[in-house]
Amino acid sequence: MINKIKQYVGIMPAIFVIGFFMFIPILIIVTYSLLEANPYGGVNWNLTTEAYTKILYERDLFDEISFNSAYLVIIFRSIWIALITVILCLVAGFPVAYYIAIQPPSRRNFLILLITVPFWTNLLIRTYSWILVLRDTGLVNNSLQVFGITDTPVKLLYTEGAIALGLIYTYIPFMILPIYASLERLDVKLIEASRDLYATRWITLRKIILPLSMPGIVAGSILVFIPALGAFIAPELLGGGQKLMLGSLVQLQFSSARNWPFGSALAVIILIVVMLALMLYARNAHKNNSEGTIH
Amino acid sequence: MAVAVSVRNVKKTYHGSPSIDALKNISFDIHHNEFFTLLGPSGCGKTTLLRLIAGFEDLTAGKLHLFEQNISHLPPEKRPVNTVFQHYALFPHMTIIENVAFGLRRLGKTENEANTAAEKMLELVHLDDFATRMPKQLSGGQQQRVALARALAPQPKVLLLDEPLSALDLKLRQNMRLELKRLQRETGITFVFVTHDQEEALAMSDRIAVMSAGKVQQIAKPDEIYETPANRFVADFIGDANFYDASIVKSENDVTTYQIGNGVHLKGPLRPNMPDNAKVTLFVRPEKISIINFSTLELVSGEIKDIVYLGSSTDYQIELNSSLSIVVRNENQQNGLAIAKPGDKVSLRIDPTSIRILESENS
Ligand SMILES: Nc1ncnc2c1ncn2[C@@H]1O[C@H](COP(=O)(O)OP(=O)(O)OP(=O)(O)O)[C@@H](O)[C@H]1O
Ligand SMILES: [Mg+2]
Repeated sequence: MINKIKQYVGIMPAIFVIGFFMFIPILIIVTYSLLEANPYGGVNWNLTTEAYTKILYERDLFDEISFNSAYLVIIFRSIWIALITVILCLVAGFPVAYYIAIQPPSRRNFLILLITVPFWTNLLIRTYSWILVLRDTGLVNNSLQVFGITDTPVKLLYTEGAIALGLIYTYIPFMILPIYASLERLDVKLIEASRDLYATRWITLRKIILPLSMPGIVAGSILVFIPALGAFIAPELLGGGQKLMLGSLVQLQFSSARNWPFGSALAVIILIVVMLALMLYARNAHKNNSEGTIH
Repeated sequence: MAVAVSVRNVKKTYHGSPSIDALKNISFDIHHNEFFTLLGPSGCGKTTLLRLIAGFEDLTAGKLHLFEQNISHLPPEKRPVNTVFQHYALFPHMTIIENVAFGLRRLGKTENEANTAAEKMLELVHLDDFATRMPKQLSGGQQQRVALARALAPQPKVLLLDEPLSALDLKLRQNMRLELKRLQRETGITFVFVTHDQEEALAMSDRIAVMSAGKVQQIAKPDEIYETPANRFVADFIGDANFYDASIVKSENDVTTYQIGNGVHLKGPLRPNMPDNAKVTLFVRPEKISIINFSTLELVSGEIKDIVYLGSSTDYQIELNSSLSIVVRNENQQNGLAIAKPGDKVSLRIDPTSIRILESENS
C-alpha cells in the first residue's frame, strides 16, 4: 500500500509536466478552434466548425460558400518544404554523422561540440545573417559578380529555396545527433564482416550501415520535420512573407487577422500531421524491437 | 604441396604514440588443405596477421600471396578468403539464412541459388531448423556455428578463424573442436586458426606456428612442437617443463653427463659440435620422469616437498638440493592413491633420450 502511494508520488512530477505543458495547452487550442471568432480578438463562446470550414471554403458577401484552395496550398507547401528540409538534412547530415562516428573517441566529442556551436547564438540573429549572405548585394551575389559568373544579381532571398536553406541550417543538428548516436553504437566488426563477404563499400553502406542506423535516421527525420513544419522565423525572414507557410499563417491569425479559432484550427492541423508522422515512427520502432525479442 | 598462403617478410607497424611493431619480418607458407594454427600469448600479433590476410589492415612491408596470386594490396571484398570473427559479428537485422546467403549474393548468385546453398551450409552445421530466426534468438554456440556457415558458404580458398571458440564454455568448446576438424576435412578448405590455448592448438592442428612478440618462434607439427621445441620460449609456452642451466661433465657413447647444480648430475643426449664445458639449457617434461623407491644407485634423488592433485594425474615437487627442485607428473592409478607423501625420500628415473638441449639463451 505504502509502496503504491510512493509509486504515485514518484510519477507525480511527470504527470504534472505532461498535463501542464502538453495536455492543457492542446485542450485550449482544440476548444478555441471550435468557437466563434471575435472580430476584436479572442473568442465568443458559441460552438461552431466555422474555423475548419474556412480551411477549405470561403464565404462570400452573400453568405454562399465556395471551394478555396489558398490555405490548402499553404498547408501542402509547408509539408512539402518540411519534407525537402528533412531529405536534404538527411543527405547532408548522414555523411557528417558517419565521419564523426569513425573518428577516434577523443575527437568525436570535440566535433559533436562543434555541431552545437550554432545554438550558442540567438536564432533570429543567425537568420538575419543569412539575409546578408543571400540578398542581391550580399556575399554570394557580390562574389558571383566579382568572379564574372553573372552580370546581374541572382534572386536568392525571398524564395522557397531560401526558406529551405534557412530551415536546413536551423535543424540539421537535430538530424546529425541521433544518426551519430546510432552509428556510434554500430559494431565495426559488422562492417568488416560485410567487406569480408565480398560486399563493396557502397553495398556495405546500403545493406549494413543504413539499415542499422535506421532508428537514428527516423528519429532525426521526425525531430527535423516537426519544427520545420511549424517554423516561423526562417519562412518569415528568408521567405519575406511572400511564400506563406503554416507558421506565419498561424501567427497572422492571432495578430492582425484577429481570427483565433482559425489560428487554432490550423495548429490542430499541424498537430494531426505531426501525430501521423509519429505513428509511422512508432510502427517502425515497434517492428525493430520485435525483431530483437525471442518469440 | 600447393601453397595456400605465402607470407613473405611481412611487417606491420601501428603508427601512433608510441608506434607498435606488431609483426617483425615474418615469412612462412601455409599449405593447401591444412589446418594451420597461430599460437602465442596475448599481444604477440596473431590477430594482426589474420587481419592482414583478410585485408582489414594494410601491410607495412612484405608480400602476401594466395595460391600464387599477389593479394598484398587487394581490398577485403576482392580476396577469396572469409573470416569467422571472435564474437561472430552476425548481421543483427538479417535472419540466419540471410546471414549465410549474404556472401553468395554478393558473388552474384540469384536469391534462389544463394538460399539453396545457404540451407546446405546450415545443414552441415546442424542448424537447418533455425533458418528464419534472428541472430539474437540463438545461443552463443549456435551463433558460432552460423558464423562458421556464413564464412564457409561462399567456399573461400582459405578460412580465417580468430579465437572462434573463446567465448564458449568448456564442454561446448570441446565439441566444437571436433566439429571444426570435421568441417575442415569435409570441405577441404585451408583453415588458419588463431588461439592462445595450447591444448586447442595441439588437439586440432596439422601444423602450429608459435609466435611471440611479433615473431614466429617455430612452425612444426603438434608433436614436434611439444617434443622438440626450437627454443626455451616454445618449450615454456607449450606444456610444462623443468629447465636447468647445465655444464658438460663428460661424454661417452652418445650419452653426456651434465651437471645441473651442486652435486646433481643428469644423463642426456650428446649435442653435436659442442665444445667441452659449454653452457647449455636442459629441459625435461614432468611426465617423462618416474618416481621410484629411494636408492643410492640412482643418479638423481630428492625429497618430496609438495603434491598437487590434478585429477587424472598428480604433480610432485621434489627438492634435489637446497637450490634445485624438479616437478614430476605421475598418472593416477586405478585406486587413485598418491604413490608418495611429502617428506618421502625418493629417487627419479630419467631416460637420457627424454632430456632436451636448448640453445643457451636467445628468444
Ligand atoms: N588497431 C591497433 N592500433 C594500435 N595497436 C594495435 C592495434 N591492434 C593491435 N595492436 C597492437 O599490436 C600488438 C599485436 O596485437 P594483436 O591483436 O595482433 O595480438 P593477439 O596476438 O591477437 O593478442 P590476443 O591473444 O590478446 O588477441 C599488440 O601490442 C596490440 O596492442
Ligand atoms: Mg587476437
